[in-house]
Amino acid sequence: MSRPIELRLNGRPATIPDVPDDERLLDTLRWRLDLKGTKEGCRTGGCGACTVLVDGRSILACLALTREVEGTAVTTIEGSASDPDLARVRAAFEKVGALQCGYCTPGFVMTLGGLLKEIGRSAPIDQFLRGLDGNLCRCTGYASIVRAVAEMREPGP
Amino acid sequence: MASFELLTPATVDAAIATLRAIEPARRVVLAGGTDLLLDIDDGRAAPSQVISLRRLPWRTLDWVEGSLTVGSTLALRSLEKEPEVARRYPALAQAVRAVGSVALRHSATLGGNLARAAPASDLIPVLLVLDAEVELVGPTGSRSLSVDRFLVASRRTAIAPDELIRAIRFPEPRPSAYLWQRVRRVHDISQLAIAVAWSPDRKTWRVAVGGIPPRSVLLPEVAAALGGERPGSSELHTARARASRAVALVADRRASEEYRRQLVGVLLERAVRSALGGGAAG
Repeated sequence: MSRPIELRLNGRPATIPDVPDDERLLDTLRWRLDLKGTKEGCRTGGCGACTVLVDGRSILACLALTREVEGTAVTTIEGSASDPDLARVRAAFEKVGALQCGYCTPGFVMTLGGLLKEIGRSAPIDQFLRGLDGNLCRCTGYASIVRAVAEMREPGP
Repeated sequence: MASFELLTPATVDAAIATLRAIEPARRVVLAGGTDLLLDIDDGRAAPSQVISLRRLPWRTLDWVEGSLTVGSTLALRSLEKEPEVARRYPALAQAVRAVGSVALRHSATLGGNLARAAPASDLIPVLLVLDAEVELVGPTGSRSLSVDRFLVASRRTAIAPDELIRAIRFPEPRPSAYLWQRVRRVHDISQLAIAVAWSPDRKTWRVAVGGIPPRSVLLPEVAAALGGERPGSSELHTARARASRAVALVADRRASEEYRRQLVGVLLERAVRSALGGGAAG
């Protein structure tokens, strides 16, 4: 079966025609909608490269059927400029140069943006770092990513 | 063309009717999908119909007279963020945090974990020591089953073909802990895991071991050796000795049998101390 799906995509209503029932959100984004910012890494839920937001919560697009997110608001890295939390993470990554090859970066940005929405800007840094447990950087550029997390946080009272 | 048809029944009755209308070998039930979709990718499952529980009203968390009922399709992340869960059932909070990453836990569910009955499940040992009950709903009504009776073997449960898991109910709060050993902290399977809980009502300990096939099991003789609420060093010594003999440990690519035999005792003692200390570990 394949049917059209309605959802909000990066802040705008979208109708995606002919989505097969077994299609993963990752494939719909990359190949049907040409949103190549969401990356495919392990495709088994272990690397975080395909992280996107669904109704503000981070999920792994490789382990989600597109039809299961029908009617939700999906945000990808392409929509990060118009979301204040994601824009804040991006600015921090840019300021400290928190990337090497960049392949894992959209996943890190989406995970951290989701965490900002969940736990707030002044949550303890450990909560952000533990929240990155599922994101791998194959360049092992973690030190600069940790600096970006510190930059992104707002010091608590 | 899609390899399967996705069905999204809007009511519990419709979901049960859908189950009854399709031959069990041809369909699977989808909750969070974080385990099932991997099986479909690998060809271990090749359903012609996938029945999604997404529209059912089971993403719930209810406290009734101090006991907790978790709807089967509630995301694990929602369970983890409820402060009272960590306070009343520390082992449950620790086990939930041991599952995948934040993003994975936004999809994965307690009902899905139980229904899939993976031998390496981080949640099942904790459900066992907390004496959790599984609420099943089928065409003739609902029934409850202890998790111990629900689990049959690796990847096999006592659920009937036309039943669904509606909720998991936890009785009285228990000082408890869940500890595991892995090579990597995330996206890895535990070499061994231990759950312990003290039941103030029954005045007994519960001990379960996880991370080894075919399934997590309760170890009543080990629990008995712990004695009362505050086991001393001699009780711990006896319990450790019994624990290392109590389970049929195996060697596989994750750990040797000898290493696992060491781990059982070490994790057991640490888990008991953590449970008594308020459960900050894990």
